[in-house]
Amino acid sequence: MNGEDLKTLRVPILILVVMLLATAGAVYYTNTLREKADVALRQQQTQLREAQTRMQRSGDEKSIIVQYVDGYRQLQNAGIIGDEQRINWLDALRIANQRTDLFGVNYQLSTQKIYPYASEFDPGKIVLRQSEMKLDFNIVHGLDLLRFFEALREQAGGLFHLDRCLLVRTAEIGQVRYQPNIKAQCELSWITVAPEPVAGGTP
Amino acid sequence: MARKLLLCIDVNGTTAARWSGGRLDECAFFGNDDEGMDSFREYAAASAGIPAFIMVDAIEEDYRFETLPHATGSERAQMVERKLRQYYRGSQFSSAALVGRDSSKRRDDRFLFSALTNPEIVAPWLAAVNEAGLPVGGIYLLPTVTSGLVNLVDGSPKNLLFVAAHPAGIRLTFFREGAFRLSRLSRTDAMGGTSDKALIEEISNTRLYLHALRAATLDEPVNVVLLDHADQFSETARAISEDNPSLQCNRLGKNEIATGLKLDAALIGDGPAVIYLHLLGSRAQAGNLASPAVTEGYRRYQWRRQLMAASVMVAAIGLAGGGFNLWQQDSIEGQIQEIARRTAQVNADYQAATRQFPAAPTSADNLKKATEVVAKLKAAAVTPERFLQVVSRAIEPFPEIALNEIGWQYRPTEFETGAATSPQAATPTPAPAAPPGPSGTLRLQSGMVSGQIRDFKGDFRQAIAAINTLADRLRKDPAVENVRILQLPLNVSPTIAMTGNTAENPAQSGSAEFRLVVVLKRPT
Repeated sequence: MNGEDLKTLRVPILILVVMLLATAGAVYYTNTLREKADVALRQQQTQLREAQTRMQRSGDEKSIIVQYVDGYRQLQNAGIIGDEQRINWLDALRIANQRTDLFGVNYQLSTQKIYPYASEFDPGKIVLRQSEMKLDFNIVHGLDLLRFFEALREQAGGLFHLDRCLLVRTAEIGQVRYQPNIKAQCELSWITVAPEPVAGGTP
Repeated sequence: MARKLLLCIDVNGTTAARWSGGRLDECAFFGNDDEGMDSFREYAAASAGIPAFIMVDAIEEDYRFETLPHATGSERAQMVERKLRQYYRGSQFSSAALVGRDSSKRRDDRFLFSALTNPEIVAPWLAAVNEAGLPVGGIYLLPTVTSGLVNLVDGSPKNLLFVAAHPAGIRLTFFREGAFRLSRLSRTDAMGGTSDKALIEEISNTRLYLHALRAATLDEPVNVVLLDHADQFSETARAISEDNPSLQCNRLGKNEIATGLKLDAALIGDGPAVIYLHLLGSRAQAGNLASPAVTEGYRRYQWRRQLMAASVMVAAIGLAGGGFNLWQQDSIEGQIQEIARRTAQVNADYQAATRQFPAAPTSADNLKKATEVVAKLKAAAVTPERFLQVVSRAIEPFPEIALNEIGWQYRPTEFETGAATSPQAATPTPAPAAPPGPSGTLRLQSGMVSGQIRDFKGDFRQAIAAINTLADRLRKDPAVENVRILQLPLNVSPTIAMTGNTAENPAQSGSAEFRLVVVLKRPT
């Protein structure tokens, strides 16, 4: 093929190149449209399956609501499910201190965070949060520590897990009766449960 | 089918026809004079862009069969080129066609060399074609085109002789076993036409010529076929057969030729050239006499057509592929709409069903899951009570030991203490493998016990023995996983200096403090 040939064939070659590009573009573009439609179809099929499953389970759902709704509301009222009820915790601290005849409790409360041990409880889509509380108080005997936390639990001001305690003797036992001789420093986590938001509101 | 301009050139002029849609459209004759040439130029100019195929019916033709050593590729081409130069040095229109292999042991190649020995007969017409810018597809000798007629003859005779009265003379073309062997054009008196006598005479002459060339002996039967385009030799055929027993003569009249070739009988009336023009247009021909320089324009024409055909094919593929994708997309969209409609219906049914449910603050799944998680959290809550009980049980037999500090924690790692561990005091008790962190790891209860020996009077041996006994009691407790001694009353490492007093007064002999880490087993 020489220069004269190329000159003669320039237009057909150009047309062929344009056709190749146009064909590739058209096939690629329409294939993309088809793939998008495929994805949308699979999503729609999934939605239908979920809706059908939900519909089939509606009888079970009713039974579950009847079975659990009262207990759930009690946990809401106790401040375990839903937003933190810090005033309830402080009230519980105060009352527990009074009932166990302690000498006052100093506390520090951190900001709310995700509960790091949530995976131990298989929460699924439920979110567990915690606020760490550091307590500093004096007791007469080691058993006072257990009595204090038992009293705190009985107040039902919330749900807490005790994480760490340090008891340090401050004086010899029996030196002065009914005087604090042990300094207690404890860390606990107030835990709250946040259910997954329901799309379209609650049924 | 591609359009073509077909030309049949003889000594009297040129018969031209346009080939379109697989058939001849029209025929026109142009005389071999200035007027005819001018008319032809106009005719050619009106055929712009159509390739021209030229056929020559002339007495100045030559055919030679030659056997060459078998070769391939450029070696064969060079050999053939040498032969062409040798035979037809003065002719620019010659060709060679491989017609088979020799039956001898060497299996040599058999070639048919042919040429138009008088190019002048073609030159003015070819110049007019080039002047009109028409690409030349090829230049052929009329007899080589005649092979298309062999199929019209019944019985596939071994020796076949076509005889036709042409304006330029009587054309006799011989085929042996279906393959072209030779042809000759015998001039007749143009004014008087072709007589039966002349025809019979030329057949006899040809018979002798075939014998002389050893193409067919006089004893061999030969089938003679009269191409009687004007239906004028019906009696002649019968006479030939009767006069010569070794000849079987048949006649193909106008209608038979038209039917066999699917050609308009009215066109055949224009002249015998129409038959050959039809054969030239209807199939690709071998034996092109034109050099590559002459057919250069046709080569470009073919490339252009192939490129355009490729473009059309690519466009068709694009249309088909794109159309298929769009069709599928449309089909899928239809399915999506149908499924969406069904989903909406199911959701509506579900909403209707949920209106019968008791009022609840969240979904049923949330109610159940949240309640169960809270129950697990409550069950998992631990206090230091178990740890304190273990320590109390262990220390009970040791009134001489006073506890100063007790630590406890419920975390994935052991109790962290800031107290330095004396190297020689640490017992070789291995620590349990501590989980690396909170995610996915279980927590355990561990603690630290720190104390001292009451009324210590400097007897380190007795003090250390008491502390080791306490550690052993802790280890033997079923609730204990592991005990580590972090600190003993005396550090006897040779790497540090030591001072002290042997007085039995506790105030002078110093203190005997210790520190242990206790890890409890996880409840089973």
